[in-house]
Amino acid sequence: MLWTLIQREILANLMTFRFPIAVIACVILGLTITAALTDNYERRLASYNEAFQTHQEKNFSAKTYSGLTLQLDRPPNPLSLFNQGLDKRAANSVRLHRDKVPSVWEDNYFSTGFDNPFRHLLTSIDIVTVFQILLSLLALVFAYDAIAGERENGTLHLILANPVGRGLIVLSKYLSAMICLMLPVLIGFLLALMLQLQSSVIDYSTVDFLRIGGILLTTIVYVSAFYLIGLLISCISRRTATSLISSMFIWVVLTFIYPNASLFMVNHFIETEEKIEQADREISQIMEGFQREKAKLKDPFAPPFLLKGRWGGGSISKDVVRVEAESELEIPTVKAYYQELEPQRLRAVAAAWLVRKQAYSETFVHRSTSARNALRLSPAGLYYLATAAYAGTDLAAMEAFFKAVRQYRQTILDYFYDKKAFSSRQWFASDKGAVRWDDLPRFSYQALKGLAADSSRASGELLRLLLLNLVLLIVAIVVFSRQEV
Amino acid sequence: MLWHIVKRELFEQVNSLRFALAMLLIVFLMLVNAVGHIDEYKTRQAEYGQQVSAYSARLEGNSNNLYKLVLNGPGELHKKPSPLSFCAHGSENNLPKFASGGRAGWGIGSVSGIWRLKYSGFPSIKAKDIFPVFLKIDWILIISNVLSFLALVFTFDAISGEVEHGTLRLTLSNSIARRTVLTGKFLSCLMSLGAVFMSGVLVNLLLLYLSGTLQLNAQEWSRIGGVFVVGLIYIAVFIALGFLISTLANNASTSLVILLLIWVIWVILVPSMLGTIMSGLNQPSIRRGPSPVYFSRSGLRERYIARGLEDAAPTRKRPPTPATLLWAEFLNEEAREGARLHRAYLNAQVNQIQIAREVNRISPTAIAQYAVESLAGTGFQRHLNFLKNAERYAEEFNDFLISADRADPDSLHVPFVREGMSDKPVSFESIPKFQDRVRLGDAFKGAMLDVTLLLLFFTVLFAAAHVSFQRKEI
Repeated sequence: MLWTLIQREILANLMTFRFPIAVIACVILGLTITAALTDNYERRLASYNEAFQTHQEKNFSAKTYSGLTLQLDRPPNPLSLFNQGLDKRAANSVRLHRDKVPSVWEDNYFSTGFDNPFRHLLTSIDIVTVFQILLSLLALVFAYDAIAGERENGTLHLILANPVGRGLIVLSKYLSAMICLMLPVLIGFLLALMLQLQSSVIDYSTVDFLRIGGILLTTIVYVSAFYLIGLLISCISRRTATSLISSMFIWVVLTFIYPNASLFMVNHFIETEEKIEQADREISQIMEGFQREKAKLKDPFAPPFLLKGRWGGGSISKDVVRVEAESELEIPTVKAYYQELEPQRLRAVAAAWLVRKQAYSETFVHRSTSARNALRLSPAGLYYLATAAYAGTDLAAMEAFFKAVRQYRQTILDYFYDKKAFSSRQWFASDKGAVRWDDLPRFSYQALKGLAADSSRASGELLRLLLLNLVLLIVAIVVFSRQEV
Repeated sequence: MLWHIVKRELFEQVNSLRFALAMLLIVFLMLVNAVGHIDEYKTRQAEYGQQVSAYSARLEGNSNNLYKLVLNGPGELHKKPSPLSFCAHGSENNLPKFASGGRAGWGIGSVSGIWRLKYSGFPSIKAKDIFPVFLKIDWILIISNVLSFLALVFTFDAISGEVEHGTLRLTLSNSIARRTVLTGKFLSCLMSLGAVFMSGVLVNLLLLYLSGTLQLNAQEWSRIGGVFVVGLIYIAVFIALGFLISTLANNASTSLVILLLIWVIWVILVPSMLGTIMSGLNQPSIRRGPSPVYFSRSGLRERYIARGLEDAAPTRKRPPTPATLLWAEFLNEEAREGARLHRAYLNAQVNQIQIAREVNRISPTAIAQYAVESLAGTGFQRHLNFLKNAERYAEEFNDFLISADRADPDSLHVPFVREGMSDKPVSFESIPKFQDRVRLGDAFKGAMLDVTLLLLFFTVLFAAAHVSFQRKEI
């Protein structure tokens, strides 16, 4: 019986004009946006490669230990084509130095020579945004007359005259419409994917395909949620016109007004400046404390100069290239100075980082968590959050990069301790041979390796979306069962 | 007769569910906008005040020696924030807030390059500033996205619904011309949506006024009036579109479905997609900003070295030696060349965006946005005007330097080489100060083209609706 109903419904859906319109809209919009985004990604990748090359050459050119400064680059994520998330906003290049702990909140996104900074004036969108707006609308358009229309035509009486459960009718409507909606979604999605694979620089691995599969799954669940919303409204409404108008209002509120307004409010009501300023004051106290300690030690590179010779470098990095013979005796004093000073500096930096971390978690982290929670109240928000996590472009994925950078910083510091670098001559002088960095492990970060973590975040949102589906379906069945026809 | 129809329609509109919902939606969004604006504007205003006083202090510090002004320039020239940014934020957060007139950044021996205008100063992009991820709620967003949507919801059944119910036959059986019916329906729609828009605007302005953020002069009020008119024309475009489709479609639901698809593509997707596509196709021809050493890349320095530039240093000898004159010539030409290269780099960047904006104008949403931005004094066009103001000021500043040098009898009068110029203090009051202004003429001139285009859209759609309604069988 269910199958007969489904067959009838599918046929009815396919014959309407909205089906071809849905297919055409999905294909055209999917393809154009993918073409534009692929091009954009290729450019960003070229920028990244150029920056990476330059930094690669410079990174280990320091001749003394104290001169080590690294510039680490975050490669653009090809899955940002689906959901760009923070990929074009969070820092893409991090300066790593023993004087500061890098953080996702503070470091900059650099526009390189390939990037026009005015470009940020043009809104850029991704495949998920297009789907988020288009597919929800299509789902509602498929749903608004599902029950109300039949009631208006009087065909509902006819169907119910047969021995069919009302729940079954709702279920068959739902399943058949989903089958019909699946077609444009799948065609649009797969064509977009195929177009991406045509590009020479996009090379998806198995893991990436799993992520893309996750995005597709979320898309289907999202469409289903909106279809059920439409179905529920259609059950309640007496007339198709009422059903259509209410669906449209709910649509514009859920996909557009609510996400914007809620983020606007979250941004407005969560104060950040005061706490950050307070943290800054605390940090400057810590640093002043360190400077006082430093002043107690006698700086060999300040007048009267202990060493006679020639050197370069800045305030915290030194590179002595020549020492006069008479100053050679002073070398142990300089070594002792740095052995005393550097661990103190690292302790101060670590303490400052703890303060900053605390301040961030009370401000920016708090704000972004509130924003997440606010977004969760709309299916469009859930869809956005889940796909961003699958694509690895959400905040947590960016944090993961910074975590790796901070770990690498710790590796370098451990390396210094292992080598007893602070008390070595090469800390400040390269006259007896430059430092060889061969045995320092290099930084490597695979953005797309953290599948398990990303998908566990995504599946949280996906589960919420599924739960919403279930609740809507049950409510629709209950409402329909108790209604007079 | 027309008024009879208008009254009847208006009565029906105002009593409908959608009118109430529309009112609720618009008033809510306008409230959100006002609340957000109050804080932001105060912060921005205070920031601007600080920057301007820092600018004055710096200028005063340099005024104890004329040559220091030549070397360091006037400093950062700040863009005045618009009090109307609640109408259109214009992505001001992504635009530089100043143009910097500072040191050239090079020196050969004792000679340093003289100041020039640079167009950098883009705000850095940091993750802490990412919110709101979506869009900012300003008037233009409410007009372009929400009111256009409401216009379609108000009109989709205007004709097709009456055809379905048969009431249109009844109406037409009276001796009324069809165009009167359509015009009457159009006017009533425009009036009811105008009322919704108006109440939102009033609530918004009232809240801003009570909070004391709204201290506008007559000029700014007239600009707000302009924004309101642009909003009405934009709404009229969508009402005309709604009538056209409503006449063509056979039933109300089909008409709404088609309208919504057009809306999604025209209002939401086209403006954001075309920009991405066009800026991808049209990359800037110059990839890097000029570096401080460009004078060696362009061969300018070599040409002057061939003429014996570096054989002798400029001196204070009177009358000026050939070396002093040659250095002065070189410095002037280098400064001109430097300014030209900075300008060329800026032009290459601006070009890319200009073309994307031209193409975006196939969507009335983009047109309305540009028009409102011009009127509100925010956004891209305003930034370009600001840069023009800064350039004009740069010339004025240089003229001042030369005339101040002339006034000093001890000077050699060979600008702008250190030895050839006065090193006496100048009075701070006599130095021209940079004042960023938005001229009302500029604002309306910038909006003119866009308003014309919107009117064109409206005329075409409204005429098409008339024609198809005349030819429709009922």
